[in-house]
Amino acid sequence: MASAERFGKWRRSEGLRGWLMVSPTALYALAFLAVPLVAIVALSFVSQTGVVTYDYTPTWKNYIEAFVEPQYRALILRSVIISLAVTALTVLTAFPVAYFISFHVTPSRKSLWLFLITIPFWTSYLIRVFLWKVILGYNGVVNSALLWLGVIDEPLGWINYNANAVVLTLAHAYAPFAILPIFVALEKIDRSLLEAGQDLGETRFQTFLRVTLPLAVPGVVAAVLIVFIPTIGDYVTPRLIGGKDGTMIANLIQSQFLRQNNAPLGSALAVISMITVAAISLVFVFLNRKNMRGGQ
Amino acid sequence: MRKGRGLRTYTIFYLIFLYAPIVLLPLFAFNDSKIIAFPLKGFTTDWFVALWHKTELHQAVLKSLIIAVTTAVFATALGVFAARAGTKYRFRGKGPVLGFIMLPLVLPDIIVAVSLLVVLLRIGMGLGMTAAILGHVVICLPFAIAILNSAFSSLDQSLEEAAYDLGETPFSAFRLVILPLVMPGIISSLLITFTISLDEYIIASFLVGTEETLPVYLFNQMTKNSREIPVVLALGTVLVLFSILLLGIAEYFRRRGIARTGGKDTGGFL
Amino acid sequence: MTPNPLIDLRAVQKYYGDYHALRGIDLTIHQGEFFSLLGPSGCGKTTLLRTIAGFEDVSSGVVMIDGKSMEGVPANHRPTNMVFQSYAIFPHLTVAQNVGFGLRKDPRSKADKDKAVVEALAMVGLAGYGDRAANALSGGQRQRVALARALILEPKVLLLDEPLSALDKKMREQMQHELRRLQRQVGITFILVTHDQEEALIMSDRIAVMFEGEIAQLADPQTLYRRPVSRRVAEFIGVMNFLPCEVTQGAGDAIEVNLPGLGHATLQPDQCPSGGVPGTGSVGVRPEAMSILFEGEAASGQIAQAEVVEVIYYGDMTYYEVRFDAVEAPVTISMKNIVGRPVLERGDKARVSWDARSLVLFC
Repeated sequence: MASAERFGKWRRSEGLRGWLMVSPTALYALAFLAVPLVAIVALSFVSQTGVVTYDYTPTWKNYIEAFVEPQYRALILRSVIISLAVTALTVLTAFPVAYFISFHVTPSRKSLWLFLITIPFWTSYLIRVFLWKVILGYNGVVNSALLWLGVIDEPLGWINYNANAVVLTLAHAYAPFAILPIFVALEKIDRSLLEAGQDLGETRFQTFLRVTLPLAVPGVVAAVLIVFIPTIGDYVTPRLIGGKDGTMIANLIQSQFLRQNNAPLGSALAVISMITVAAISLVFVFLNRKNMRGGQ
Repeated sequence: MRKGRGLRTYTIFYLIFLYAPIVLLPLFAFNDSKIIAFPLKGFTTDWFVALWHKTELHQAVLKSLIIAVTTAVFATALGVFAARAGTKYRFRGKGPVLGFIMLPLVLPDIIVAVSLLVVLLRIGMGLGMTAAILGHVVICLPFAIAILNSAFSSLDQSLEEAAYDLGETPFSAFRLVILPLVMPGIISSLLITFTISLDEYIIASFLVGTEETLPVYLFNQMTKNSREIPVVLALGTVLVLFSILLLGIAEYFRRRGIARTGGKDTGGFL
Repeated sequence: MTPNPLIDLRAVQKYYGDYHALRGIDLTIHQGEFFSLLGPSGCGKTTLLRTIAGFEDVSSGVVMIDGKSMEGVPANHRPTNMVFQSYAIFPHLTVAQNVGFGLRKDPRSKADKDKAVVEALAMVGLAGYGDRAANALSGGQRQRVALARALILEPKVLLLDEPLSALDKKMREQMQHELRRLQRQVGITFILVTHDQEEALIMSDRIAVMFEGEIAQLADPQTLYRRPVSRRVAEFIGVMNFLPCEVTQGAGDAIEVNLPGLGHATLQPDQCPSGGVPGTGSVGVRPEAMSILFEGEAASGQIAQAEVVEVIYYGDMTYYEVRFDAVEAPVTISMKNIVGRPVLERGDKARVSWDARSLVLFC
């Protein structure tokens, strides 16, 4: 009787209604996100014995191979370095833009500026990457234009089919992702704090360093994460314009699955990339926490 | 204001950097040369005409449209459930569940692609358009939820209570009050998930099997067939115009939604 | 007219998890009265209103409306309608569509419903506003639309959740009088939730003062003001001075108290809500219940000597803080500024007249 009553209460309760409401979406994510993620983690501990035959005894073999094989190790490391370079370039160049829109644009026009910045992001990613290939290519737009203008005598080699080209293209692609979170953080800063800073005898620049910048850190960290995480797994850009030494981990995973037909090793590489992303992200989050505590 | 002027110049250069590739796109799409280089040769519409005669392109466009429309409808419908649960109810485990659904936002797409590939092959489900749709819904859901969340959370909770109070059932209150007010959010969610799916390459390339979608077709043209570059640029021009049109519509509905619920514009989709 | 009970709350308890929001409310609200739930924020007054409306389940106890238990009856089936704090005007509908929203399932013809909407709008002073977009209204107009929308359904009870808190001072005062007029006109029971004691005093037939999920005092405005049952109620309603005292004789019809510096007083039982127990206590006295005697004015009660320590001039009134010889804390006295009466200055000596009938004893 008592349990029936408790059941009746629970049936009408907010908790149950919330769970019922979220369940279609949650079940979908369980079936097509959670189960597949568990599956590749499981698969990464299996060893491939033939073209379609597997040995299901759990083994670290794939992970060992991923770290021991110099080619794989180098590629993982290069992916991290390229992503960090993209992140640094994107965030550093994005900050002044976000600062300008937040502090020097009249409020009614801010959304117009933000709209202008987001438009390129919504156009085809493939096309944008391809355009950079065309622009930066050996016989591409930049080289042909510079040759035509007589600035250079022979095409520049260092701008095409290498890591530099990948970094530039990715920085271009992820620009709005970096600008928006920094902008949001800057918008939250109480403008009277800045006046207070100057009222207390600081110059504009000192106020920027001692008030604005620390308060913008959460936005910068969000921007760093939002750029770093997807770039490390990017496939299209390194494949189209990376050339031989611009390939990244996603290309390796793809080739293990579709060309080398070694799904367990591919899974291990996928898990490694997820763990790498998570680990580096946690470092940033931790740094942010520390900064926030210091500020209190 | 001297400092502001320097920043303004910088920002304008930044915008030029952002728009440069897109501006070059029509320039070379109408250029009468197979080589993409300066100086420009002459004006031609040949590359656009060529698009009309490529049947495999038309097939790919059709498949991509089917996938994108289906994805948009499912992702938005599932997004409505999650956004409503997230904004209306407090329940134990809400944070972790919603956080997990939003996970693809910080998960490289290739991981979603290979993990789904492994499972779908394992359960014996063949690859094809259905598989691509399943994957696209996974990556579109976080965007749908983010948009719908802001639509649902700008609603005053007492509007719904007022409808009950005036005699409506929870279902009719949803239909008469909530739905009309979040409709702009639903429309922009549909448009944005449609755009994401239409443009998605990596998941489609893994899951679609032999059925080439538009991005898969494009990518193959870009990597294999260098003689076709101007045609690709012509196609790109059409696609960019199409996405700018969609984006304009989405922005219009988003603003109208904010105006309707009497909120304040905070700008941007993200 | 004998009051007719309409709403009966019996031992109503409400928990949110561990938080005890309503701690055993027993309350009867009558047919046709203007009733207010008054208290500071977090006292449970809004929760109580929402349990009557059906937006909150009670944890235990009974809510009866018109003799019927409301257990399991959802908000859309209760004979109550609500005016929300935010007004909850549907922003996608016109004014007329808002007002007619609750008539959707009404069997009347469309013409009759339209007529009812026009009449409801006229009643709240918005005749001719029907086609306006709800978004384009001012705060006061939204308030009126919300009223019309609720009253058109002719509920047995109209529930008002802090309806005036979002309005500016002038608008609020105007709406207070209008709400009172409207309530007399339609004769429906109004239950008002407010944290503004002045608003409750102006508008209500009866007021329940709530603290921490309990009703501290239930009374008509005059009783509440003149005979608060506790120091806390007294402090919440208007301004009251508290003077230390000694109860010398506590039993019977005459309670004797000794006020240092002011002398003796004999109090009636109704002045001692918590009874008269010999020992130390305090008496409360409202600022306007004491007066400073100017030249040629005669005392109406007892007299004490004091010194003016602060003067606050309000135009129509002057508030003095005076110190009696033997009382440490200053006492506030309000005086009307009538023609020929001077305003005293700090340091002036004053003769203060007071009446024992205006005192309230708290033990």
